[in-house]
Amino acid sequence: MTPLANPFLLLNKDGVEVQHPDDASWIFNVSKNGCLDACFLQFDADLSVIVNLNNENAKCDLKCIYLTNKNNKININIQVLHKSKKTISKQQIKGLATDQAQVNFNGQIVIPKNSQNCDGMQSHRGILLSDKAVISATPQLEIWADDVKCAHGSAIGPLPHEQLFYLETRGVDKASAQKLLLSSFFNDIIPDDFEQSVQQWMDENV
Amino acid sequence: MAELLKIEHLNVKVGNKEILKDLSLSIPEGQIHAIMGPNGCGKSTLSKVIVGDPAYVVTSGSITFKGKDLLKMSADERANEGVFLAFQHPVELPGVGMALLLKTAINAKRKYLGQEAMDAVQFMKHMKIRATALGITDEMLKRPVNVGFSGGEQKRLETFQMAMLEPDFCILDEMDSGLDVDALKVVGKAVSVMREAKRSFIIITHHDDLLKYVKPDAVSIMRRGTVVKTGGPELVKLIEEQGYDAIG
Repeated sequence: MTPLANPFLLLNKDGVEVQHPDDASWIFNVSKNGCLDACFLQFDADLSVIVNLNNENAKCDLKCIYLTNKNNKININIQVLHKSKKTISKQQIKGLATDQAQVNFNGQIVIPKNSQNCDGMQSHRGILLSDKAVISATPQLEIWADDVKCAHGSAIGPLPHEQLFYLETRGVDKASAQKLLLSSFFNDIIPDDFEQSVQQWMDENV
Repeated sequence: MAELLKIEHLNVKVGNKEILKDLSLSIPEGQIHAIMGPNGCGKSTLSKVIVGDPAYVVTSGSITFKGKDLLKMSADERANEGVFLAFQHPVELPGVGMALLLKTAINAKRKYLGQEAMDAVQFMKHMKIRATALGITDEMLKRPVNVGFSGGEQKRLETFQMAMLEPDFCILDEMDSGLDVDALKVVGKAVSVMREAKRSFIIITHHDDLLKYVKPDAVSIMRRGTVVKTGGPELVKLIEEQGYDAIG
């Protein structure tokens, strides 16, 4: 088996300065009217992302998919700093952990006092495929401005028993039912380019 | 008539609670069998036990399907042997399209039976005919399974899945709760079109709405976790006129 790399897709980087200090770290500086659209795919690997929305109308749309197994411990840290008014951020993080793997997700949105009319959104969903796997999520919202929109949500758990059972009553065996539910779980955020390697990882590890 | 399903002295628990008690029931091939009973009598539990829901524990008794021990099979094996349940409360599958679900299910059964997979063209044809007959639109097929549908639409889609999978034994669990007359007619039409010499149906209900559109050959009355009486369609009329207290 060839080890899967941790690909990173920069779908849009208009007005974005990119720094990549080490394998796991990324810093993005988004300037006025700039737009960052990026997706990270993490196989058993740490990730640290800082996005500075430096000027008015800077936007970012971040997606992150993580998959980990065995005794791996991974840290996913994403920090979005709304350094100017009228900046918009959206983060969608989805992942799964199996065997004894451990995931720590820290997601921070900071909106200082002078950054009015900002819009920040963060959503995290984690699937646990074994009793011994652990995913912990710490969303942190630091909001000092009073006229902003900000939403976050995190949900962690196993694949719903009733969904698996419903598929089984249609003749789909448990392993195939799991795979079907997992592919559809990632479906709404996964770029086409990543589909094959996620499928390969699941075939080999789930 | 050969026997399709035979349940003998079945006892079922959830946690410490006994829900089915010494229940026996026999369904021959080709029969439409209505099971009626008041809420909480164990009708839905019976349907879940037949299809293999692990939440229910069979403490004693047996279920035989086509002469095979059904209780030894997993839920997917039971489905591939030909057992189907149209759910009272269908489960939402976000992100899973109806066509994908049905193609996966049809080909799982074909694989189980040692047959070749159905190709995309055959599948589309198979689907189109049944969708048109049951009033299922392309738009309904594109949406994720059961997500955002009304209760009536969900039950129409359960009926559609039944027509697509062509099972030998179909259980319709309270299909008539919350259904308008048009939807009841669709369910009734599906059952009459699918009716065959070897295919049987259990229709679970607590009133007679659906039974106006599907005429049962036999009727069993359940109370307190067991079958208290089995007879002909005249039982439906008796219940309608005198209520469940007329029996057991």
